Amino acid sequence: MSSDTLKKRKAKVIRSDGGTPENKRGRAEGEQSEEVEERRRQGCVHFVTLKKLNRLAHMRLKKGRDQTHEAKQRVDVLHLQLQNLLYEVMHLQKEIGKCLEFKSQHEEIELVSVDEFLKEAPAEISRPHLTKEDPHQLTLARLDWELEQRKRLAEQYKSSLCSKEKILKGIELKKEYLGSLQPGLQAIMQASLPVQEYLSMPFEHVQKQAEVARHLPPPLYVLFVQANAYGQAFDKNLTVSISGDVDEAKALSRPPEDSQDDESDSDAEEEQQNTKRRRATVGVQLDDKRKEMLKRHPLSLCIDLKCKDGSVLHLFFYYLMNLNILTVKAKVSTSADLSGAISAGELLNSESLLNCLYASDHGQETPNPGNRYQFDKVGITTFADYVSELGHPYNWVQSLGGLQFFGDAPQTEGAQSSLSASHMEATMKLLRGRLQSRLALHKQFSSLEHSIVPVSSECQHLFPAKVVSRLARWTMMSYQEFMELSFVQHVVKAGLMKETDLFFMATVERGTARLQAAVVLNPRYPEITPLFSLSLLWKGERSGRTDDNLRAMESEVNVFKSELQGPRPGLQLLTNQIQRLCMCLDVYLETESQVSDGSEGPREFPREKMCLRTARGPNRLKPFKYNHPQGFFSHR
Amino acid sequence: MSVFSQSFSPCGRFLAAGNNYGEIAVFSLSAALSPDATDMSQKPILTFTAHEGPVFMLLSTDTHLLSAGNGEISAWSWVELTKRVGMNMHGHEFVYSWNNDNSLIVGGGDNNIHIMDMETGIFKSVLQGHTDYIHCLALKEREGEILSGGEDGAVRIWDSRTSQAVHCIEVFKYEECTRPQFGKWISCLATDSDWMLCGGGPSLSLWHLRSMSPTSVFPLAGCQRDAMFYQDMILAVGEGPHVSHCLLGGSVKAQIPCTSPSLNTLALNLSSTEHRVMTVAGSSDQIDVFTNFSYRAFSLSF
Repeated sequence: MSSDTLKKRKAKVIRSDGGTPENKRGRAEGEQSEEVEERRRQGCVHFVTLKKLNRLAHMRLKKGRDQTHEAKQRVDVLHLQLQNLLYEVMHLQKEIGKCLEFKSQHEEIELVSVDEFLKEAPAEISRPHLTKEDPHQLTLARLDWELEQRKRLAEQYKSSLCSKEKILKGIELKKEYLGSLQPGLQAIMQASLPVQEYLSMPFEHVQKQAEVARHLPPPLYVLFVQANAYGQAFDKNLTVSISGDVDEAKALSRPPEDSQDDESDSDAEEEQQNTKRRRATVGVQLDDKRKEMLKRHPLSLCIDLKCKDGSVLHLFFYYLMNLNILTVKAKVSTSADLSGAISAGELLNSESLLNCLYASDHGQETPNPGNRYQFDKVGITTFADYVSELGHPYNWVQSLGGLQFFGDAPQTEGAQSSLSASHMEATMKLLRGRLQSRLALHKQFSSLEHSIVPVSSECQHLFPAKVVSRLARWTMMSYQEFMELSFVQHVVKAGLMKETDLFFMATVERGTARLQAAVVLNPRYPEITPLFSLSLLWKGERSGRTDDNLRAMESEVNVFKSELQGPRPGLQLLTNQIQRLCMCLDVYLETESQVSDGSEGPREFPREKMCLRTARGPNRLKPFKYNHPQGFFSHR
Repeated sequence: MSVFSQSFSPCGRFLAAGNNYGEIAVFSLSAALSPDATDMSQKPILTFTAHEGPVFMLLSTDTHLLSAGNGEISAWSWVELTKRVGMNMHGHEFVYSWNNDNSLIVGGGDNNIHIMDMETGIFKSVLQGHTDYIHCLALKEREGEILSGGEDGAVRIWDSRTSQAVHCIEVFKYEECTRPQFGKWISCLATDSDWMLCGGGPSLSLWHLRSMSPTSVFPLAGCQRDAMFYQDMILAVGEGPHVSHCLLGGSVKAQIPCTSPSLNTLALNLSSTEHRVMTVAGSSDQIDVFTNFSYRAFSLSF
C-alpha cells in the first residue's frame, strides 16, 4: 500500500515535475525523452529497492516480535511457578499457625499437679522413666490418671445415690406411721376433758392459752404471765383471757426482718405505682401512714376483776406495735342495774374511769418519748385525739407490761417482767379500790339526788341525832361552770383542782338560808379528800373568804379526813362531809345572835344545839366540833 | 391558818407569831429587811408547837416570850426558844395577858382577870366582874389602872392596887357607838393617858376618860379587833382586808390594803430604830410588813 502511495506521490511529483518542464519541452523535446527514460529506470530501481527494504523491515519486525513473544512466555512460566510456590508457602504457614493455636481439650481439664501425680498414680500409668524426659508422655500419663480417677468417683456417686433413695423411702414410711398416731391422741384428749373438769385442772384450756400466748407481743406476754401468776397466787377473782386473731398474729410474728423488708418493698412499690398513676393526694397518703403507725397487734388481753358484790371490771389491753406502747380500755358490768343518778353519769364513764389511778397519770399522752419523732413524720400533733379509739396509754399499764420509759433517757430494750411483777399487786389493788369507790359513789349519788344524805350506822356517832338543815340539791357541774363561780377562785389559784376532776354543786337549805357548796372530786377519791368551797346566802352573801366562820366550816369539812372517812375502805367520806356541812350550818344559824334590821323580834332559828360557849377568840368563831356521846358542840 | 398574835423580840430583830394550830414561828426581821433579802428570808427561821390549841396571845418581856394557849401560859426564853420555861395555868379555855413590871395581868375565859407575880408564879389577886370572856386588856401605868373589855360589851376600869372596879362603861348603850347588827362585844382596847380607844361590835370610838363620854366615833365598816395610838394617829385592824389610819378628830385618813381578808393583830416594832416596821396578820398565813406605814412592803409567810 505504501508503495502504491509512494508510487502515486512519485507519480504526482513526476507529473508536477513533468508539468513544469512541459513548458520547456517545446524547445528541448528530443533531449528530454532520454532523461525521462533514465529517470524512469532509476525510479523502477528505486521502487524495487524500496520494496526490498520494506520486505526486510517487515521481516525484521516479525523476528523481533517472535523473540519477544518467546521471552515473555518463559517469563510467564516462571512467574506462575513463583506464584504457586508463594501460595503454597502461605498455605503452609497458615497450617502451621493453626496447629500452633490448637488448644487441646486436655488443657481445660484441671489436672492434679505433677508432684501429686507422680506420688499418687500407680506405676503403669505414670511410667516415670518415660514421662520424666518427655513432657508429651507426661501429659498423656496425667490424662490417663485423671480419666481413671473420674471413672472411679462416678461409680461411687452412683452407689451413694442409690443408698440415699433407700433412706428417703424409709423416712416416708415412718412419717406415715407417726401421722396415723395423731388422730388417736386427739381422741384420747377429748375423752380426758370431762376428767379435767372434774378435777378442776383445766390443762387443755391452759395449754390452748399458752399456745396462743406464744404469739403475743413481748409486753402483752409479760402482762399475761404476771397477771396469771398473781391471780393464782393471791386473787381468785382475777381471770385472764386472750382474744383476737391468732393467724394474723402468726403472720406478723414470722420473720420480723422480712416483714419489715416487705413493708419497705411494698412502700417502694406503692410509691412507684403512685408515680405511674396520678399521685394520690398527700392527705390520703398521710392518713394511710398514720393508720399504719397506729396499728394495733391483732391479739389483745382481757383481764376481768370481780368484786364481792358481783360487779366486774373488764380491762382490755392492746399493744400498738409501731409505737411500742400498751393501751387499755375499761368497761364495768354490774350485777344490779345502775340508773337513776343523773349526776353520776361521769363516774363509770369508761373514758375517765381509770383516770389518775396514780397521781397525775392522765393517759392522754403517750409515755414513750421516741413516739414524738414518729408522730412528727406523719403529722400527728397529739395522741389524745386517738385515745378514745385506741385506749389510754397510762403509765401503770406500761409498767404492768414491763415497759419502762424514763423521762429523757432512751427506752430500755425489751419488756422486763420484774418491773411488771413489782407493780402488779399495787395496781390490782388500786383498780379494785377504784371500781368499788366509783360504785359506792354511784349509789350515794342516787340517794343524794333524792335529798337524802346516806349515813351509815358506823358513822352516826359523828353527828347529833337531829340535823335540821337538809340537802336540797346535788348536781354535777362542768369545768367551765366551776371556774365561773366567784367563791372558788382561791382553790383555782392554789392549783388544787385540775381539768380532769369532777365538779359538783350541793345546796343545803334551812329556812331562808341557803348554803352553796362547790365540790371538787379528784378521780383518786377516796385517797384525796373532796374539796368544798362555801357560799352562804342569808341576809346578804358571805363566802369563806369574807366570813371567818364559813372559813372554819370549810376547814371542818375539808381537813379532818381521818374522822370522816368512816370504816375501811373509807368510801363514806363524801356523804359524811355533806352531813357534817349540814350540821355546821345548823350551828352557824342558831348561834347567830344579831338581827340585821335592828329589831328585837323572834329569831328565825331558835337555839337547839347545845354549845358550851358560842364565841371564842378575837374572831369569835362558833363551836363546830361535835362531841359524842355528850352531844354538845365545842371549839377545836 | 389564822394568825392570832404577834410579838417583837426585846432587841427588835425578830418577830414571833402564833397561829390557830398552836404553833409559834420566829422570823428574822433583819434578814427580811436587808437589801439582799430572798424568798427564803420571808419564811420563819424557827417554827415550833407551843400549845394544843390556838396561840391567842404573845408577849415579850426583856428576856422571855410568853405565849397563851388553851388553858395555859408558857414562857420561852428568847435566848433559847423551844425550851419551855413553863408557867402553867390550867382550867381556863383561853387566856389573854398583859405585862406590867413583875406582874402579869391575865384575862381569862372564866370571865375574870388574874394578876400573877412573874417571879414566883403565884396569883396575887383576881378581878371579878365581867359576865363573859375577856377579849382585851389595856393598862394605864401612871395611875395603875387596868382596863378590860369583854364579850359582854362592858369596859371595866380596875385599880390594880385595890383590885376593885372603878368604872364600868357599857359601850353598846351609847347611841353614837352602838351597832346592834353586829353585837355588843368589845374586842379592842387602847389607852393613851386620858384617852381610851375601844371597838368591836360597836363602832370604834375614842373616849375621854375623865368625862367618860365618847368624843369621836370612827366610821369603819367592820368590827375592829386591834387598835393602837401612834403619834397623832390611830391605827386599827379588824374585819376587812385593810389597815385603817384614823385621825383623832374622827375621820378616816386612809385604808391601806393587805393580803388577809380580815386581820386579827397589829404590832409596831418601836424598840428598834433600824427595824421600825408595822406588821399585821389575820385569817391567812401571810404577815404583812409595812416599812412605810402607807403601803405594804412585803409579806412574811408563816
